[in-house]
Amino acid sequence: MKSHTIELPRPQVAADQLGFFRFGDIAGRVLLTNDAGEWHFLGREDFAALVAGTLPAEHPERPTLLAKGFLRSELDLDALSERIRRKKSFLGNGPHLHVVITTLRCNQDCRYCHASRTDMDQVQTDMSLETAKKVVDLAMQSTSNYVAFEYQGGEPTVNMDVIKFCVEYSREKNRYEGKTLDHSVVTNFTYMTEEHAEWLLANDVLVCTSLDGPEELHNYNRTWRSGSDAYGSVREWMAYFNRRWIELGRDPHLWHVDALTTLTRRSLEQWKDIVDLYVGLGIRSVHLRPLNPFGFASKTWDQIGYSTDEYLAMYEEALDYIIDLNKAGTTIIEGTAAVLLKKMLTPDDPNYVDIRSPVGSGTGQVAYNYDGTILPSDEGRMIHAMGDPMFVLGQVGSTSYSEIVGHPTVKSMAVASLLDSLPGCSSCWNAPYCGVRPLHNYRQTGDLFAQRPNTPKCAEHMTIARLLFERLAEDTTGEVEAIFRRWTVQRPRVRDED
Amino acid sequence: MTAENARFTFSIDDRSLALLLDEALYPLDAIYGAAYLFVDRCYIFLDRPADKQVQVRFRTKSDSTEQDLEALAGEFANELLNQVLRLRISESTKSIREYTLARAFFGDSSQASIDALLAELDAEELADDPLEINVPWESGT
Repeated sequence: MKSHTIELPRPQVAADQLGFFRFGDIAGRVLLTNDAGEWHFLGREDFAALVAGTLPAEHPERPTLLAKGFLRSELDLDALSERIRRKKSFLGNGPHLHVVITTLRCNQDCRYCHASRTDMDQVQTDMSLETAKKVVDLAMQSTSNYVAFEYQGGEPTVNMDVIKFCVEYSREKNRYEGKTLDHSVVTNFTYMTEEHAEWLLANDVLVCTSLDGPEELHNYNRTWRSGSDAYGSVREWMAYFNRRWIELGRDPHLWHVDALTTLTRRSLEQWKDIVDLYVGLGIRSVHLRPLNPFGFASKTWDQIGYSTDEYLAMYEEALDYIIDLNKAGTTIIEGTAAVLLKKMLTPDDPNYVDIRSPVGSGTGQVAYNYDGTILPSDEGRMIHAMGDPMFVLGQVGSTSYSEIVGHPTVKSMAVASLLDSLPGCSSCWNAPYCGVRPLHNYRQTGDLFAQRPNTPKCAEHMTIARLLFERLAEDTTGEVEAIFRRWTVQRPRVRDED
Repeated sequence: MTAENARFTFSIDDRSLALLLDEALYPLDAIYGAAYLFVDRCYIFLDRPADKQVQVRFRTKSDSTEQDLEALAGEFANELLNQVLRLRISESTKSIREYTLARAFFGDSSQASIDALLAELDAEELADDPLEINVPWESGT
């Protein structure tokens, strides 16, 4: 056994001169962050002086450090409290996202399908109108003034009657509730008809589809059971909807088919083709999310899966490519980056239910299975579909709204994702921008909490936040920050006559 | 060890690294906090060989050279000093955080509400002013 000795400079600390902050090394500098989401870079020597209480009164960084609450003298506690209140205002809202599984039937057989699909003859997996009515009755009780119904499946348009009923019934109820309602359908477009399309257009239902990439990649990932060209169908219906919205006089920047890509191993090799396809189609957002470890995907992981390191290496290349596209005048954003940037660059939080503290499961979103089973999220539904009833919150018709949001399972998930109380997270520089996914933890380790450094989501969120801060730290001209700020602006998608 | 420098003595064996820490210099919470950040790369064993002394032993999950272990020791020592700083800041700002978080989540936001109400009233008055009370006399004809 060999013995060694190292000596390191011990920091001098004048803690009584400091406000509360977390810190970490990024881009050769020290990043300070606090509970209000404020952040500031300091050189190492300046940081040492700040901590030691020897930062000169005339130091150029001092006014900014004071304004952001990193120094104790002249600290405006009430103003800081208000900034924290605004940042965390979602805590008082209640569930806004209501995922309705209209059916499990689907005519595609995707390699990664995490939606627990069934074949088209399994009509018993259709939601009934009676169940749909109970779903809407429950969802409209949410304390959130904004309620978004998201129709998923299976392929949700296979049970179009339930979509139509939910849209019309919720709007009828809303004459008395006065909420802001959104309806969106997540469709693979393989079951779309002109009649359905025109109804969706006439009723202001937002449409989102899966577009995994160029034709060969899309059709490889998303097999259509009929043997037909899934890619061609998606392109055809995207063009149809986008054309018709323009004909109806809608702003095409707001009213267009949104698209999501699911990344398989083969997708990682073709990330540039995916981004270029989206740009070519005029889609302004591409969300490069890693594959979920749920449902069928786990069975075929060896074929289509990849490591977190492989994903993050791809992400960094793609992020820089997307930034370069923006520099050249093309507007396209990356979804996860946009969520984190909204937290970093604005006084608000986007209330993205998967990346917030605590997580939105049960308090920001609720999922309703085709049979009326209530679950805290779509991921909870997938775990349920895998035969594990751990996350069932109740049944529409017999479970009340307060029983859902106050359910012990929902409370457990909130505790397991409250960054201020989690080891490793409570002192992490990324705490104001991060979010824990207890269902992922449970699926991957059998433990809602898990050990943070051992979870892929920790590496994913930390690395992406670090990449963004590095790009900001190295941005001497302000060009990148200007691009990033544009990514945080979202105009509300309302009818022009509203 | 000088007042400015912290000295860390550690021993290295096959895939293992051990440090003996004085709890008077390094609070237990700082040791836990620093060690926790290495659980993805190492198995970590804590022991108390004597009063106020904590032994931290790392066993790497994959093969490692002597240089790897030396680098690991340096990384841990750095992190330990950071954790001590984090702990000092956290303890010193405890009452500040309790106040700001309590006010943010449970506090009286009446001032903000009053401001909002006044702004709303101003807007209403400006919008509906049949007697032209808000019209400055200079602009009258």
